[in-house]
Amino acid sequence: MSKKGIAIQEDITPNLIPMIDIMFLLLLFLMISSDMAQRELEDVRLPIADVVKEDKPDSDNKEGERLTINVYHLLENQASCSVYEGGGICREERHWRIGVKGVDFTDMEKLFQLLDKEAASGRKGDNPKALRVSERKVMIRADGAAPYGMPQKAMNVCARAGMYKIDVGAAQPSPDGGAPKKSSH
Amino acid sequence: MAGSSNIGEASDNPVGINVVPMVDVIFCLCLFFMCSLKFKQLEGKIETWLPKDRGVEQTPPDKIVLEEIRVFMRWIDGRTVTKVGNRAPAGSDLELMQTINQMSNDYKKLGKTEFPVLIDALHDVPWKDVIHVLDLCKKDKLERIEFAAPIELPVKSGN
Repeated sequence: MSKKGIAIQEDITPNLIPMIDIMFLLLLFLMISSDMAQRELEDVRLPIADVVKEDKPDSDNKEGERLTINVYHLLENQASCSVYEGGGICREERHWRIGVKGVDFTDMEKLFQLLDKEAASGRKGDNPKALRVSERKVMIRADGAAPYGMPQKAMNVCARAGMYKIDVGAAQPSPDGGAPKKSSH
Repeated sequence: MAGSSNIGEASDNPVGINVVPMVDVIFCLCLFFMCSLKFKQLEGKIETWLPKDRGVEQTPPDKIVLEEIRVFMRWIDGRTVTKVGNRAPAGSDLELMQTINQMSNDYKKLGKTEFPVLIDALHDVPWKDVIHVLDLCKKDKLERIEFAAPIELPVKSGN
């Protein structure tokens, strides 16, 4: 006579609720920390400077009132530039772009039209001499490998538009002293 | 009495929700956000000024300010050569800042406080070298640093 084994079937179901809770929190954190807004800052390798001030909105100049001009390296059709990729100074003018809020403003007249319009909000006073001078701040974020001619062009247009308060974007030195990586937000 | 013993248990719920697809979707979303997450590089700003009268009015300025420390930057033989005024090119950062500070002290001795350090770089000098000089000046508490008016020259083609 064979013994009949008693089949005990245990129903082991993992409780998924705490895991879902944690994953929701993780998802929330990642969604908040990622910037889905329109890119104001382009990918650039900022030059290193020791005296960089933390970029906090000033009491008299709110962050929204400052315009950021990016000077960045960009090639059409995903082409690559061996000089730039190798960390060198690329002097090919057509490899460089000047952009504001994700729009290409490499054409200086187009940039002037934009800056002139933006500068209007910062112009004060009745003095005709000072009438063209704008208190509006501009930040120039240029790639460290860019030839000075590119940010210089942007500065020249700023001056034409009467914008003389210029902030220059720079990166803080990394603790290991390594080369800066491309920076974007 | 018998019914109260299994309150809250899975067997108590006649309509079970299958959470597995939801977990899958959340996993995918987490993966996407984790891959697209970029940590912000610490970056900031250096305040500089452009001359107020440049590009604003075509008439000559009321007074011509000759007190300035002009730092020339040129790209010669694959490196940036920096010199102050008509002096010899600076061999090092230390030498450059010694010259600038010496001129600055001379101006101060003469009772002149309003003198800018003017960075006069050519278009082919790397931007990082210009920022380096700006950084050195800022480190030495020279606050009034300006960029010289640009010379309209095309950027050299070819690397």
